[in-house]
Amino acid sequence: MARGLSLYAEGSSPLHRAHPLTKATLTLCAIGLAFILPSWPLVLGVGVALLSLLAAAGVLRRFLFVAAGLLVPITLLLALVQSLANPHNQTVILPLGPLAVHREGLYIGLLAALRIADLVAATFLFSFTTRPADLAEALMQRGLSPRFGYVIQSALQIIPQSLETADRIRDAQRARGLETEGPLPRRARAFIPLLLPLVLSALVATQERAMALEVRGFGLKVGRLARYRIPDSLGQRVLRWGLALAVVAALAARLRGWL
Amino acid sequence: MAWLSAFKFRLNTLGIVLIPVCIAIDWAGHAIASGLRLPLFLDSIGTILGGILAGPWVGGLAGFITNLISSGTIDPIWQRQPRGWIGIWILCFLVASIGSTPLNIGLYQGQSGIPFGDAIYTALVNAHFPTWIAAYVDEAAVDLPDKLITALVAVLIYQGLPRRYRALFRLYQPDDDAEGERSPARA
Amino acid sequence: MTPVIAMAAARYRYPETDHDALGPVDLAIGPGEWVGVVGPTNAGKSTLCYVIIGLAPQFFGGRLRGEVSVFGSPTASQPVNERSRRAGLLFQNPFTQLSGARERVDEEVAFGPEAHGLPQAEVEERVAEALRLTGLQDLRARHPLDLSGGQLQRLALAALLAMRPELLLLDEPTSQLDPAGSRALFDVLRGLHAAGTTIVMVEHRLEAVAAMCPRVIALGEGRLLADGAPAEVFNRPEVQASAGIPAFARLAALVGKGPPLPVTFESAVEALRG
Repeated sequence: MARGLSLYAEGSSPLHRAHPLTKATLTLCAIGLAFILPSWPLVLGVGVALLSLLAAAGVLRRFLFVAAGLLVPITLLLALVQSLANPHNQTVILPLGPLAVHREGLYIGLLAALRIADLVAATFLFSFTTRPADLAEALMQRGLSPRFGYVIQSALQIIPQSLETADRIRDAQRARGLETEGPLPRRARAFIPLLLPLVLSALVATQERAMALEVRGFGLKVGRLARYRIPDSLGQRVLRWGLALAVVAALAARLRGWL
Repeated sequence: MAWLSAFKFRLNTLGIVLIPVCIAIDWAGHAIASGLRLPLFLDSIGTILGGILAGPWVGGLAGFITNLISSGTIDPIWQRQPRGWIGIWILCFLVASIGSTPLNIGLYQGQSGIPFGDAIYTALVNAHFPTWIAAYVDEAAVDLPDKLITALVAVLIYQGLPRRYRALFRLYQPDDDAEGERSPARA
Repeated sequence: MTPVIAMAAARYRYPETDHDALGPVDLAIGPGEWVGVVGPTNAGKSTLCYVIIGLAPQFFGGRLRGEVSVFGSPTASQPVNERSRRAGLLFQNPFTQLSGARERVDEEVAFGPEAHGLPQAEVEERVAEALRLTGLQDLRARHPLDLSGGQLQRLALAALLAMRPELLLLDEPTSQLDPAGSRALFDVLRGLHAAGTTIVMVEHRLEAVAAMCPRVIALGEGRLLADGAPAEVFNRPEVQASAGIPAFARLAALVGKGPPLPVTFESAVEALRG
């Protein structure tokens, strides 16, 4: 049976043990800095910092493996299209018939790709070291309504389950003669017979689940007390504020033209 | 202006439980479409179905979270659906394409990331159109067929549901009707 | 002594239907009773549970008339989720009752107490107690989806018991269970009855009802057909025609033992010997 949707990789590095909100702040600030800082050495610096954190958490290889599939196509596409078609293009490097590869566009495209790489690295750093349940719990302890904490926790489990159910329905329908191979119209016709049973059973389950939750006290407006302690520390709190301030400062500096 | 009441924020347990289910249907739809090698994303069927069944807040939240999870970025797509499937299609398409474009401009220098759309972008910029128009057309060209089919499928599925489900989930009905019969939305 | 459940001329109609699913019903159930509810499909048995717990009309909409009071206060006066402090309802399907938001058995059981804002220490105590009552202590660290149907149903029961309800409603709790699962569940119920919990159990296994419930209610087309001891209720022709006959009674009838038919194993053995 499929378990909860999560990229979490077991480990005991300081990052794994850090409070989920610290890591969330780290990720968001890294992304903010990647897009605010204007020159490529600075953006690269953010990337290098993220890579070393990934290494410290023991997930660098996993990241490179997963990220390659995502980032290589994006980089190529960005570099290509921007070098051909950016309004700032002036210097031609390589003529290609009616179009031409320009230096300015190439630089802009590669810088954009670098920023995206930073974003992906920051997001994966968070996902690899944080259990979704811990994040939901941390948010609820800080005041997120338990009803919305429920939405997150339930979504993470229900998605892999529904994918499994979709497979089972596909096998059952194929056994009944549904065609899933062949020319496009035939494949397209198979779509609704594959999705509809899933939707129906999901809706029935939804009604029953909602009734069962009500009967157990879901949605009561009472203060939700801590379920388990997630270790936090003054140092982490300081770090979170520090990071947030750094981003604000960078933004202010950029707007003022100092960077 | 009775239809405005649909937008009042009203979310009972049933609506809350429905949101993850819509997200799951979003993903299942996408997985089935990939499995059948159809040339479309079809990753919003659950969102739209939720919107039809239970109103804009359920649909909107489901769509928002689906995007959060699948892209790892925050993509503010609020999908509001009045009745009528042409309306649905046009609205989703507009919201999706307009919502995505600023994101594309900010993150991806205006590109949508889909080769066929980006080819259009390239052509438009080289023809000296402003970047933002090129970006919008790029995204729109990709979204147009996808959202049309998505809306169509969602409506077909909705029509295929037994009547009592449609009544049960209808969170956007006006409160108590004349007889004093309580609508489920009051729960 | 205030009855735990008091219904007077109660009627309920689901939305967009043209007839009452239940009613008119007059019923009083006292503390500590174990009442079995039998009847054919669509007799209103589930509806009865929903009306008592308040899901009808609060969840479904529809129209409730007459009086329905639980613990002395009308069901309309309290939202269903508040009522969970004193009353619980176990549904048929073991899978859909799970919250779907917890990855461990003990966390699933803790869901209710946490939703009520109880302090951590008390939550843990109640979870341990509920797991012990349902025999699930050894499985407390498992993922709920690793459990069998019978275990899941006990998990759902444990989740309700964590609230220490005085009233427990069960809507066909064993319909999706195998005999071993059913037996395990009934064992838990016997223990709860002995401890004084009021139990209202909709069941289609008539033999179990006849053996365990001192009082049986038979419903047909939304109305009460009979209300009394099992031997009396199951010997009524209208009950036999609609809800059915416990197997032992049928056996005795086949062998020619006249009315009243024995309805439990022990009494059937008695009758067949004599």
